[in-house]
Amino acid sequence: MTPAFSAEQSAFSQRLTEIVGSASVSTDERVTAEHTVDGLKPFVVVFASSAEQVSQVVKAGNQFEKTIVPWGSGSRQSVGPCLARADAVISLKPMNKIIELDVGNYTVQVEAGMVNRDLHRQLAEQGLFLPFDPFCTETSTIGGELATNVSGPSRAAYGTARDIVLGITAVSPTGDIIHTGGKTMKNVAGIDLGKLLIGSQGTLGIITDTVMRIFPQAEVNRSLLLAFPDAEDAFQVVSRLLASKLTPGSVELVDRLVGHHLEPAGGPPLEENDVLLMVSISGSREDAERHQKDISTLAEENKVDSTVILDGTEVNGIENAYHQAHQSLFTSPSVVQGKASVPLSKQGEMFRAIKKTGSKYGVPVGITVHGYNGILYTRFDASVADPSGIINDLNGTAAGLDGFFMVEAAPLQFRKNGAVLPPRSDYKLMRLLKNSLDPRNILNPGKLVGGPG
Amino acid sequence: MIQQSFIKELTGIVGRDNILSSRKDLLAYSYDSTSRQEMPEVIVFPRSTAEVSGVIKAAHRDKVPVIARGAGTNLSGGTIPDRGGIILELSRMNRILDIDTANHRAVVQPGVVNLDLQNALAPFGFVFPPDPASQEMSTLGGNVGENAGGPHCLKHGVTSKYVYGMEVVLSDGEVINVGGSVEDNPGYDLRGLLIGSEGTLGIATRLTLHIIPKPETSRTLLVIFETLENASQTVSDIIGAGIIPGAMELIDKTTCWAIEQGISAGYPTDAEAVLLIELEGLQDSLDRQVRDISEICQKNKVRELRIAGTSAEQAALWQGRRGAFGAIARICPQYIVMDGTVPRNKMVPTIHRVDEIAKKYHLTIALVAHAGDGNIHPLILFDTGNPEEIVSARKAGDEICELCSSMGGTITGEHGVGLEKLHAMFTQFSSADLSAMRRVKEVFDPEGILNPGKLLPPEEDESLHETKEVAG
Repeated sequence: MTPAFSAEQSAFSQRLTEIVGSASVSTDERVTAEHTVDGLKPFVVVFASSAEQVSQVVKAGNQFEKTIVPWGSGSRQSVGPCLARADAVISLKPMNKIIELDVGNYTVQVEAGMVNRDLHRQLAEQGLFLPFDPFCTETSTIGGELATNVSGPSRAAYGTARDIVLGITAVSPTGDIIHTGGKTMKNVAGIDLGKLLIGSQGTLGIITDTVMRIFPQAEVNRSLLLAFPDAEDAFQVVSRLLASKLTPGSVELVDRLVGHHLEPAGGPPLEENDVLLMVSISGSREDAERHQKDISTLAEENKVDSTVILDGTEVNGIENAYHQAHQSLFTSPSVVQGKASVPLSKQGEMFRAIKKTGSKYGVPVGITVHGYNGILYTRFDASVADPSGIINDLNGTAAGLDGFFMVEAAPLQFRKNGAVLPPRSDYKLMRLLKNSLDPRNILNPGKLVGGPG
Repeated sequence: MIQQSFIKELTGIVGRDNILSSRKDLLAYSYDSTSRQEMPEVIVFPRSTAEVSGVIKAAHRDKVPVIARGAGTNLSGGTIPDRGGIILELSRMNRILDIDTANHRAVVQPGVVNLDLQNALAPFGFVFPPDPASQEMSTLGGNVGENAGGPHCLKHGVTSKYVYGMEVVLSDGEVINVGGSVEDNPGYDLRGLLIGSEGTLGIATRLTLHIIPKPETSRTLLVIFETLENASQTVSDIIGAGIIPGAMELIDKTTCWAIEQGISAGYPTDAEAVLLIELEGLQDSLDRQVRDISEICQKNKVRELRIAGTSAEQAALWQGRRGAFGAIARICPQYIVMDGTVPRNKMVPTIHRVDEIAKKYHLTIALVAHAGDGNIHPLILFDTGNPEEIVSARKAGDEICELCSSMGGTITGEHGVGLEKLHAMFTQFSSADLSAMRRVKEVFDPEGILNPGKLLPPEEDESLHETKEVAG
């Protein structure tokens, strides 16, 4: 079924057809409905297969004053501020190939629509790995992950997207193809627009390809799963680790709500108030032995209840289970997912405060923690009686600990409330940048953090 | 032209003891570590954010250029006041405000010298990883302005990875905070734009830095080769074996010789290339790494592998490397230092082409390189008394920039664009790329008062150059 269009909409769709061919433009209700964002259904979906096509589509958007929503796999569209208007969705799904795997340089250049998991699999076949493992779906694309600046456990050792990405090609809001960075380890020529694009949620450009650092796979990969009856002890171990000479690959803490999903993959059984500390080790045999020994000692000194050590393919198993648990618990449409960011030494306090807030409102709150980064993800059901009370309490608690709390992904009504954003002095400059780079407000209007200005 | 009344106004802001305007004093701030010289009109030494803001407000009102400057060790002409104006010298804002090891943070004013921070961190067993060779003099504000690297960035990454929060004075004097002490702050990554912007977008007045525990132990290896190929192949093989040393520096024969003329650091003077490798990490794994590396070296026909036996030997080798530019200056006071960076597997062909360029212009070009990162430092030596040679040296520099771009690399990996590489920007970026950068500049600095004319080449010069073709 094709709905009736205005002359202007038809002319725009016609132009899109000229750019990408009729097979790659759809105004079919079933297709447009699938690409609804924040309750806004586009009237046309266009599938692009090259940066040149993306450029032409964005130019057409400017010409016809039609807004454009960039789309990878759609899994993180309901994150952050609400979209204001959606005329067209541009899907980069057809752009899903490795452009260049340069093993000698340890870089890979991929099209933005490449699915991260596919990339990981292809690299693994060659003994390589990409230290970029965001909490996302099986189908999440690299471009979408960069645009939303998501991250995963490996950020403890390798940093976030801004530290792994060396170069980006993007289409600007006015339709120019721009290149930033490249494939070198260091690069300080000009203004680093790549860092601006990462996390800009498609408001400043559409990423069409990227060059990322890759590494040879480690000799040994191991996972230590340590269950603590008292959260305080688990966080104490993290503090001691942070002060030590050890260099773990990742340090994650989860409560039972998340942790019991890991039991089938080999995780230890957890009691109601247990906290599970998961430390991954990757490196040489000698490194792994030393880490295992020291961490086990630390855990024993801090009243660990049970310890499981996983090796080889079991490590992949537990990592996949953790990603899946995170995905299903934190990003389902009926969940309010928040993020607290606090100083490293205050993670334990924030964890306890979140649990206490949950009890106060009679709501179970699930928590996962990037223990080397001070990041705590929270989730609770959107159907609870007083969600804004919980959110306000957590805002206050995090601010009191010199950090912040914000709602990331949630049903529309929660994100409409701009008050969930922590106050900052740099929003004005961000708005000026958006207005200058996207004068017609074509790309993802409204999505900008800090409000419409 | 600055009026006397304007200088009086600035004096009111920073105080009589913190402003200089005599010709003799202006001369001292007319250059950086490149060979160009231009006169500023006044030098101010603010001691607080409020004073910086006051100076910028006055400059903004009267549209006077402001050039932020740390220690002036920059290598691309970035702090040369070629349009006159104010030198905003931040060296008196040199307090370390907080060292918080539990949270892996240090808070500093921009005028703190890199090595002073390292020394303050040492008793806690912590380090700030970026370690530019200029670290004894260069300031952290300057390091941030240039997005400085250094030998140890091979393992740990460059400055941009270690700056979490910045207090910034904008071009109209407004003070904002970008990033923060904690991670994942909402909104655009403005610190990503500011770091490496060479003082053209804003002036950082307080920095929140990420610090890390010092590695448990380190070993320094000096590996001597008869050919450059063998040295470079060794670098590739080490990284391919999954070993990421703390640092892996390549030093050529000319530079080794120059170093040994000045101090006895322990470098051979008759080998084509040496590698200075620093391994760092846990005690447990270093023996094995040394074994693996020496096997790789054997395979690549190493002449000799020396392991520094004492910390004094280790220090001497590093002193030699850090003093390499100075050592060259003793044998040839004027040289142009390049810092192009190429894909790691393009380093050998690039170095060969640099050799050809040297031959073509009858110049001596010495070489050191952060080899693990593909970051090369050709040092083009020339005689200031020989006008033809000066021209040749400049041409050779331009060709090396073009060469690095054509190898899929960048014209600058560490030292910035400044004035020296302005026109080389056209070899790396298309006019669309440059125009997007100019828009960002206009948002931050609509009046064009912050370090004007640096970093981004003038739009009107675009027609003189063939800009990079836009790829589809």
